[in-house]
Amino acid sequence: MKRILCLIALLFSLTTELQAQRRLTAQELNIGVTQEFENFNPLIMSMMATTYMYRMVARTLNVLDENGEWVPQLAEVIPSLENGLARRTTIDGHPMIEALWKIKSNASWGDGTPVTCRDVKFSWEVALSPMVSISEKEIYDQVKEIVIDEKNPKDCLLRYREAKWTYNRLATFFIVPEHLERPIFEQFGNQAEGYEQHSNYTRNPTHPGLFNGPYRISEIKLGSHVRFERNPYFYGKPSFFERVVVKLIPNTGTLEANLRSGTIDMVSALGMSFDQAIAFDEKVKKDDLPFDVNFQPSLVYEHIDFNLDHPVLKDQVVRQALLMSIDREALTQGLFGGRQPVALHNTSPLDPWFTDDPKKIKIHPFSRRQAKRLLDQHGWVVAADGVRAKDGQRLSFTLMTTAGNRVRELVQVYLQDQWRSIGADVQVKNEPARVFFGETTRKRKFDGMAMYAWISSPESNPRSTLSSKSIPSEENGWSGQNQPGWRNARVDELVFKLDLEFDPEKRLAMIHEILFLYTSELPVLPLYYRSDVSVTPKSLRGYKLPGHQFPATNHIENWTLVDGVNEGAKL
Amino acid sequence: MMSFILRRLIQTLIVIGALSFFCFYLMSLMPGDPVDMMISSNPNMTSEDVSRLRELYGLDQPVYKRYLNWVSTLAQGDLGYSRTYRVPVTEILGPRLWNTFILSGLSLIFSLLVAIPLGVFAALNQGKKLDYFINFFAFAGISLPSFWLAIVLILIFAVQIPLFPASGTMSVGTDMTSFEGFFDRIKYLILPTLSLSFMSIGSFVRFTRSSMLEAMRNDYIRTARAKGLSRSRVLIVHGFRNALLPLITVVALSFSSLFSGAVITETVFAYQGVGQLVLASIQSNDFNVAMVSFMISVSMVLTMNLVADLLYGVADPRITYV
Repeated sequence: MKRILCLIALLFSLTTELQAQRRLTAQELNIGVTQEFENFNPLIMSMMATTYMYRMVARTLNVLDENGEWVPQLAEVIPSLENGLARRTTIDGHPMIEALWKIKSNASWGDGTPVTCRDVKFSWEVALSPMVSISEKEIYDQVKEIVIDEKNPKDCLLRYREAKWTYNRLATFFIVPEHLERPIFEQFGNQAEGYEQHSNYTRNPTHPGLFNGPYRISEIKLGSHVRFERNPYFYGKPSFFERVVVKLIPNTGTLEANLRSGTIDMVSALGMSFDQAIAFDEKVKKDDLPFDVNFQPSLVYEHIDFNLDHPVLKDQVVRQALLMSIDREALTQGLFGGRQPVALHNTSPLDPWFTDDPKKIKIHPFSRRQAKRLLDQHGWVVAADGVRAKDGQRLSFTLMTTAGNRVRELVQVYLQDQWRSIGADVQVKNEPARVFFGETTRKRKFDGMAMYAWISSPESNPRSTLSSKSIPSEENGWSGQNQPGWRNARVDELVFKLDLEFDPEKRLAMIHEILFLYTSELPVLPLYYRSDVSVTPKSLRGYKLPGHQFPATNHIENWTLVDGVNEGAKL
Repeated sequence: MMSFILRRLIQTLIVIGALSFFCFYLMSLMPGDPVDMMISSNPNMTSEDVSRLRELYGLDQPVYKRYLNWVSTLAQGDLGYSRTYRVPVTEILGPRLWNTFILSGLSLIFSLLVAIPLGVFAALNQGKKLDYFINFFAFAGISLPSFWLAIVLILIFAVQIPLFPASGTMSVGTDMTSFEGFFDRIKYLILPTLSLSFMSIGSFVRFTRSSMLEAMRNDYIRTARAKGLSRSRVLIVHGFRNALLPLITVVALSFSSLFSGAVITETVFAYQGVGQLVLASIQSNDFNVAMVSFMISVSMVLTMNLVADLLYGVADPRITYV
């Protein structure tokens, strides 16, 4: 018995000792993510976790910051018509624009080589190569020519093919080091995927010369972790944390255990699920844990696509009645504690184009009585089985979403119940995400409704989701994203003109007209704007969850600790 | 004997070839492709980008052409390039296979070391308290969901009593070749090995117990005892050796899974094994990684079946090969 007691005492003392060692200092910050990452070649990377980490090691000419403002990074200033660094011109009668990007004089790669316009031009050449599998080509393809000033290679004149107002938003125009990558591109660039398979990012990923951000990669283990060390050549202020380690922990339960055991210090926005974050927030408050759970409404728009070819759902009155009959405020309060705001349309409150002005958009307040009256007025009569019908057509349809997504399944049950009360019969039919996105929504094979989310960037043209040219079909290789199949000639015209309109007021008026048509015709049923969540140590300062696609790591050099250390070790 | 082995090897190669096409075809039937994954993470991709990438990746080609391309690349000794991780397959698969081999191997050895004596004890004490206790333990092992056990182990031994790391394969920045690195690795292996072993121990105990009971009922055991042989000799040479035959099949098949990985255990412990990788590669349609992993698993199952057949002859001299 004495031995057992001694053993227990020893274990407790060991526990206390180990807990005392868990102290966050400026030496190392450990961040947990649940999503996989790939190699760090910015031209071909496509995973969100890679983007999250890439922003620690490299910067672009400008970016959308955590406050939603466009700010320069590698550039001295953002060229504009107002500051004279950009000008509109005409070549052969065709309106064009050119902009002079001046790269910061102290911007260097991690091996000390200056970042110049040669790097910009080389990256542009690589991105336009048909043999490189770059995911988003449009940002490079908009540039017709890049002129290097040989006397001052930090100056970079970009001539654009068309005069579009988005010319100076180059946050996804990634730059790779010409001095390291050109020999590889010249040797393998004519083979399909040859450059990317032999690039330094693939073969020598810890080469310091690949990075120009506040950190450099010192160790990378795909599927496990990436270790970053401070970059002495960074143009900005040196980061507070000497080292940062990002660990991949795919299971969210284990992620939380790691946080509580001190193996990681914080969880990025690519970590906990929303419902888990709410539960963890309660634990934090109850047990006085040394963490802040951050919630930030994002640009992710959760909605239900109507299949407008469905005999019942093509009726605008039915769509309106369906929207009016659901109490979305109660839904978000009940399921999300009000932390995910009700959506009015496809533009998030984080977007400068957002409006909730009832003069500009059609707002459909919750009113079950109104919804029933609307259906009654249009001949939808309640039959003996409690389901409405008109001309032999029952008010019945399927609602599909991704199987196994607990939040969406709860929302489905809620909606099913609400719609039953107005005489609409809804059958739930869920599929694995792979099938749902890979086949059902992509090829518009959903019978009635499909519930999922869209992510957009602020002030982005909704052409790909609203234009009739973007309706997926066999002819266009199922490549569009207008899954409802909405056709509106005025919207088609506006999305075409939107990019060419330089006057912000006129642009805003155009987008508000699109939103009016969207909220009037309701090709989509708006549900709520999702929130991003992250968990940070209480003592962390300078951190802000942005909510858009440019992650918090864009300002990692601003992250510090109160008094230099994290005092909270009570777990 | 040699002609038997040669025949079986030829059969094995034919089965591998047929299965490789079957797996490739099945994967191609799955909805979506790597480009769809890219669309979901990049809102700015245009329909032109989608068409261009499908063409570049050869996803617009018929399945048989894509299969032939894959086989011809493999025949040149090139395992291909992972479209998900953007690195050569060998670079991502090699270390993962090794990690899985270590975890599964350790777990198998530990399970056998614990299960065989327990199974034998249970058989020799049939119907007694010890037998009931061991059976209870075995059934608990078989019944408990591995993810639940894994989470419980983490909560107890990493959060409440932080003796072991909650997850991972080794500490960041540790040099595996050093003595310190070796112990660091062991520290990370303990919880996943325990979690993985618990279930196998249960089934091995049940197999050993029933085989041993079967063997101990035979006439030759009575004869051996009548001859006055010692209890240990009767048990080990006559009882246990004959009980080995069914065990060999089970253990050989367990060996074949050494490189297949344990998806749940690896995921919960964030252990960099091949199981987790294969699951991710199937989900993201990363053909090269998934196909090479399939081939390794298929080859292991077929090879270990052959080894089991050969071991029957060693354990039972009555078996001959023609």
